[in-house]
Amino acid sequence: MIGRTLLAASLVACALPAAAQTLAIVHARTWTMTADAPAEGATILIDGRTIVSVVPGGAVPPGVRTIDATGKLVTPGLVNAASQIGLVEVSSAPDTRDTSDKGPLGASFDVSRALNGNSALVSLARADGMTRGVSFPAASSSIPFAGLAAMVRLRDGADILDRAAVAEFVVIGGTSENRSRAAQWQRLREALGDARQKVAAGKGVEGDLAPLGRVLGGELPLAIMTNRESDVRQAIGLVRDFGVRAVIVGGAEAWRVASELAAAHIMVVVDSQANLPETFDRLGLRQDNAAILARAGVPIAFGMVGGKLEYNYNAGLNLREDAGLAVAAGLPYRAALEALTVNPLGAFGIAGGKLEAGAEADLVIWDGDPLELSTNALAVIVEGRESSLENRQSRLVDRYAPPVPR
Amino acid sequence: MDAAIQCGEGEIARFKLSLALLLGIFAVSSGGGEGNAAPTDVPPWRVDPNPSTYVPPARTDLLIRHATILDGAGRKIVDGDILLRDRKVVAVGEGLSNPGGVREVDARGRWVTPGIIDVHSHDGTYVQPLTKIDHDAGDFGEDSEMNAADEWIESGVNVQDPAFSRALEHGVTMIQILPGSSPIFGGHSVIVRPIPANSVAGMKVPGAPMGFKMSCGENPKEEGAETKRGPTSRSGVVAFTRQALSDARDYLEQWNNYRLGRGPKPRRDLKKEALAGILAGDTRVHIHCYRADDLAIYLAMAREFNFHITAFHHAVEAYKIPQLLHASGTCALVWGDWWGFKMEALDGVRANAPLLDRAGVCVGMHSDSPEAGQRLNLEAAKAIAAGRRAGIDIPAERAIRWTTSVPAAIIGLDKKVGTLAPGFGADVVLWSGDPFSVYSKADLVLIDGGIVFDRAKPHRDPVSDFELGRPTMDHRQ
Repeated sequence: MIGRTLLAASLVACALPAAAQTLAIVHARTWTMTADAPAEGATILIDGRTIVSVVPGGAVPPGVRTIDATGKLVTPGLVNAASQIGLVEVSSAPDTRDTSDKGPLGASFDVSRALNGNSALVSLARADGMTRGVSFPAASSSIPFAGLAAMVRLRDGADILDRAAVAEFVVIGGTSENRSRAAQWQRLREALGDARQKVAAGKGVEGDLAPLGRVLGGELPLAIMTNRESDVRQAIGLVRDFGVRAVIVGGAEAWRVASELAAAHIMVVVDSQANLPETFDRLGLRQDNAAILARAGVPIAFGMVGGKLEYNYNAGLNLREDAGLAVAAGLPYRAALEALTVNPLGAFGIAGGKLEAGAEADLVIWDGDPLELSTNALAVIVEGRESSLENRQSRLVDRYAPPVPR
Repeated sequence: MDAAIQCGEGEIARFKLSLALLLGIFAVSSGGGEGNAAPTDVPPWRVDPNPSTYVPPARTDLLIRHATILDGAGRKIVDGDILLRDRKVVAVGEGLSNPGGVREVDARGRWVTPGIIDVHSHDGTYVQPLTKIDHDAGDFGEDSEMNAADEWIESGVNVQDPAFSRALEHGVTMIQILPGSSPIFGGHSVIVRPIPANSVAGMKVPGAPMGFKMSCGENPKEEGAETKRGPTSRSGVVAFTRQALSDARDYLEQWNNYRLGRGPKPRRDLKKEALAGILAGDTRVHIHCYRADDLAIYLAMAREFNFHITAFHHAVEAYKIPQLLHASGTCALVWGDWWGFKMEALDGVRANAPLLDRAGVCVGMHSDSPEAGQRLNLEAAKAIAAGRRAGIDIPAERAIRWTTSVPAAIIGLDKKVGTLAPGFGADVVLWSGDPFSVYSKADLVLIDGGIVFDRAKPHRDPVSDFELGRPTMDHRQ
């Protein structure tokens, strides 16, 4: 691909062997997420996995591999707060899908052992600027539990596990199988109640419901995939009654409960591409859901919550589209960047998402505004290493449309 | 003139040619060679069983000034004016004079394009919200048999689907609703305006050529395997298709003989007559097909039965066979970024449209989704980015063709809509900014010279009956 080749030539002013553990990015307009505006002409120094400094006009020690990002924008690596990347290859072919299991596992079903960094979906998402994401299990037969989600890190190679068990996912809402949501809430409350009794009695919570012990201790957030206003209110009540941490995933009608969600410190993962009442649970879905929530002080993030066919396949690009559409509907730009970086990490118990001294070096150099779909990522750095932007699509394009020599 | 428009015209030329051949035969017939009075019946495939009752919206003449205009035909005017009068585009240029009394809109910083046309929609049939009732027995296609050629998808359109108003608010002025892809022959499409109406006839574009949906590959073979009612392989689907086309050719010949006074009037057969319309060149053919090898097989079939495939829909591997598509004059309708969700979609690339465009192939954007259908220009933006990565620069004035004049050509209406030029219908969108920007919104949408959406109006959204009296949807009322 000619674009990539030219980029490598123009950006890399001083290339040293890959063994070099230090890297500098200079002249970068940089959203550090530590200030309200981007730092102009910043020098970002990276040593190994870690950012050493971000200083406007900062000097680069001699011999350090340097990327000149003049005229480019730098952001932290983007985080997808709900996807199934690494768990699914061809969604219509069940033998390539590890998102759920029809066996007895419910709350303890842990997707982290199925993660596949060699998936064709991973390299494309990374090339689109996504560096981390929550990969979550699909609904199990142990209603309402889906199981334990993992944080993935889209580094090169097969191992993309960042941290296992970052949230316990439950799915609550209307189904086509004559299962009332009343029973779904009741089962969840009963399970949490039983777990609380065991914890109070000094006994551990064992078996399939073992993760609930960690949920009750506030160590593990409960990620509640739900949409209808009545269910969002039930979720708030559950958080109050059990003192757990929670994230609403979906929250189509969450805007109706914005101030209550803010008071309960519940983050909402929204999908601002979805603006149609696809189900009766989502009648009130609106494109400015994110804007209304953020205005009320609710932390938000973006992810696959509409269950749309194509989303996992473009987990990086769709994330940016979500954020861009939310900004178009009134979400402040900086709030959108927070929703793509610090918010989803923080809600799942991981510090990061900022470009500052001491932070892990996950960042992206863009040829324009990352929320515009006509923008490309020029370089993606994960844990201090510049990743290849090559992916199946780029290889196909290389084969069928070889670059014209210039 | 650019390739896509040429190919659209080429297709129309072929369409006219086939009509002329048919009419030529009739002319011989009326010459009285056989001694019988020539039958005057219109062949059944040319008869619309549910004619349009569409009434254009109230007319508003406008002079939009100082806009960046993308005319849909490949031209960009940076400080442009456009005059709309009497439901038509009257003039497009710089510093136009007001002929007197025409309301002016200052569009500094804003952009004007033709109305967006989505030629692959299931709005009104894959309804919002979709319940188990629709999952079990949906109106997006007739699945009781593999040959549903006699279906007219409009018979099932729910005009209260909220998807129509969302599309309209996003600058979509024309939609082709297609049957689903489970049957091999899905039936007739319908071309509508996404405007409030009490029946589909009230939305229907008058005088639009007939369109017809066929499917290849995974969907029909899986349907056949699941229901045990049809072929279970690609080759079986192709054999089924060829047999039906062969039967339709016999039926068309019976009709031609009848018109020549050489035979009895054929008994009506709704399936065969639909396919005869394709073979006669009267009905435009839309084929759901993904893989390059599938596309090639269907192009061979079209040569065998001497009909023209108007467009392959989805066509995720079209970029592999630009020469074949170029030679056949068949268009490719593609997504911005969909790929991978099934086996035949594995090789989808976002650069599909730019690669085809560079090769001179007729290519357009389509949605297949009520959500993506609101944002076809953003799908194009994704393709523009991928094109740039592949070293192909597609400027805005070229990319806008993918969502305006190319789809207009595909549905056979490119002399009426899809381009901003004198004499064209006034289907116009005034955007708040660059139409390929995620931040831009449709400020003003006109259909046939009438304002159908105005973002500045407080109660601006057309609200479907479905949305009334539902508290969580109140903000739209």
